[in-house]
Amino acid sequence: MNTSRLQYRDTISKSIVWLLAIPALLVPTIILGYIFWKAAPVLDWDFISGTADGAGFGVTEGIFAQLLGSLLLAVMACVMAAPFALGTALYYRIYASPRQQQLLIVMFNMLQGIPPIVFGLCGLVMLVNLFAWGVSLLSGAVVLAIVLLPLLVLNTLAALERIPLNYTEAGRALGLDSGAIIWRLRLPRSWLNLLTGLLLAMARALSETAPIMFTATVFSGVVWPDSLFSPVTTLQTHIFYLAQEGNNPQVINIAWGSAAVLVLLVAAFGLIARVLKKLEAD
Amino acid sequence: MLKWWLSASALLSSMMIVLVVGFLLQSSWPLLQQQGIAFVAGTEWYPFESLYGMLPALIGTLWAVTLALLIALPCGVAAAMLSAELLSPKLRSTVRFGMELLAGIPSVVYGLLGIWLLIPLLESQFELLTGRTLLAAGLLLALMILPTIMVLSEDAISAVKQSHREAAKNLGIGWDATLWRVLLPQAWPGIRIATLLSMGRAMGETVAVMLVVGSIDRIPEPFYNLLQPAQTLTSRIGREMAEASVGSLHWAALLFCGLMLAMLAMMISLLTHRQRLVV
Repeated sequence: MNTSRLQYRDTISKSIVWLLAIPALLVPTIILGYIFWKAAPVLDWDFISGTADGAGFGVTEGIFAQLLGSLLLAVMACVMAAPFALGTALYYRIYASPRQQQLLIVMFNMLQGIPPIVFGLCGLVMLVNLFAWGVSLLSGAVVLAIVLLPLLVLNTLAALERIPLNYTEAGRALGLDSGAIIWRLRLPRSWLNLLTGLLLAMARALSETAPIMFTATVFSGVVWPDSLFSPVTTLQTHIFYLAQEGNNPQVINIAWGSAAVLVLLVAAFGLIARVLKKLEAD
Repeated sequence: MLKWWLSASALLSSMMIVLVVGFLLQSSWPLLQQQGIAFVAGTEWYPFESLYGMLPALIGTLWAVTLALLIALPCGVAAAMLSAELLSPKLRSTVRFGMELLAGIPSVVYGLLGIWLLIPLLESQFELLTGRTLLAAGLLLALMILPTIMVLSEDAISAVKQSHREAAKNLGIGWDATLWRVLLPQAWPGIRIATLLSMGRAMGETVAVMLVVGSIDRIPEPFYNLLQPAQTLTSRIGREMAEASVGSLHWAALLFCGLMLAMLAMMISLLTHRQRLVV
């Protein structure tokens, strides 16, 4: 094969790669821009800090209650899932036999693959109806915690894995017991990574809609839930309901505004996690 | 005390999957008891007449996922190739950052985009009565899984050893052959996992799909007609769960849809795992 033919083929495959790649890079960017362009007319401080009264049925602006509800659910879910995730990861490092380790990894990869709506279904049947917790903050938080669990476990495992083995061996040689090794060695050495995992879990919790729409949320009328057993309103379900209100353009504008706020919120958690990761790497 | 905490949490979290599947099976048992397993292949879903044919939703799910992969896989891998091999490092990290950002966009936001951007577009382009079609669902899903495919494929391509690229260059086989004979084969295990993971994600995506798919239980007629409203497993659960009365057969049938989703997802996850063990 002569050189010019080779170059010719190179040019062709390079242009195919470019042709396929350009839409993959451009379309998502345009779409992100579109969200903020649509949201711009309603996006201001009053929009974020105002509380819409229930009577307005979404026409009145203000998403403070929804913002609060989303954050509350996400924080509660993280708080519930974190001790279990940490415990499981430590069990994996300290006690599990190789066979158990393999089983745990398979289990958590499977759990992570199960669609969130399935957990929502289980929560609806078991927590909302069987335990009679009703559509409530608690039901939603438990379901979300289960959705987050595999993510947190796998993240924690990765964080613990990054501690060099000779650290824990040195600890053992000094006569520390497992508890002391965890508190004095493992946690101080990996807390930045653990925090990163928690932030990513927060971002995930804020972007899930399917698991909470049957278990935790109502359309409007709640600003701050009275108890664990009262429902909340969230940004995710707010967008979901408003998106289907086709006949009022003002409502759709509010939906775009809420979407922009949600995207920014999720991105903020992702960004902080990224910064922490960099900090840890240095 | 410490050991107790660790063992209890490990036990509880690993039992979770057994609990979920067992629980779904137990809750959908009334339906299985009454109708056997034959309803899975049935083509008609009329809850009021106790007809719970799963085939339309299964085919809808299959089409939506296939369509999404057909679009997102070539584009995503090409974009990964472009950013890993042809762009400057600085541009490359920008692209990667953008993709990670996009991967975090909540599905309900895609749903909003689907209703108010994609559907009107489809309606005017294809002169349809309704833009709520399988095509809309497939396109939206493609958009949603694109960042995942791209990020994971880029990892796989960057992981190919530099010395292999240099060897290819020294042999004078050109970029074209390097792409097909060196980069893609070596990155293939990673791309495969990316495909399987995004397949699972596309299959289980609920909110965005149920807003655009039309939610009508109908098998596409003829089978390649994607410009018709359809139903997927997830959109059916999302649409009907609130209407079904607790403990009814309809309720059991919807839980069975959930069980099927869980089973399919576990199968996909096992496939990724086998690959990981081998490599």
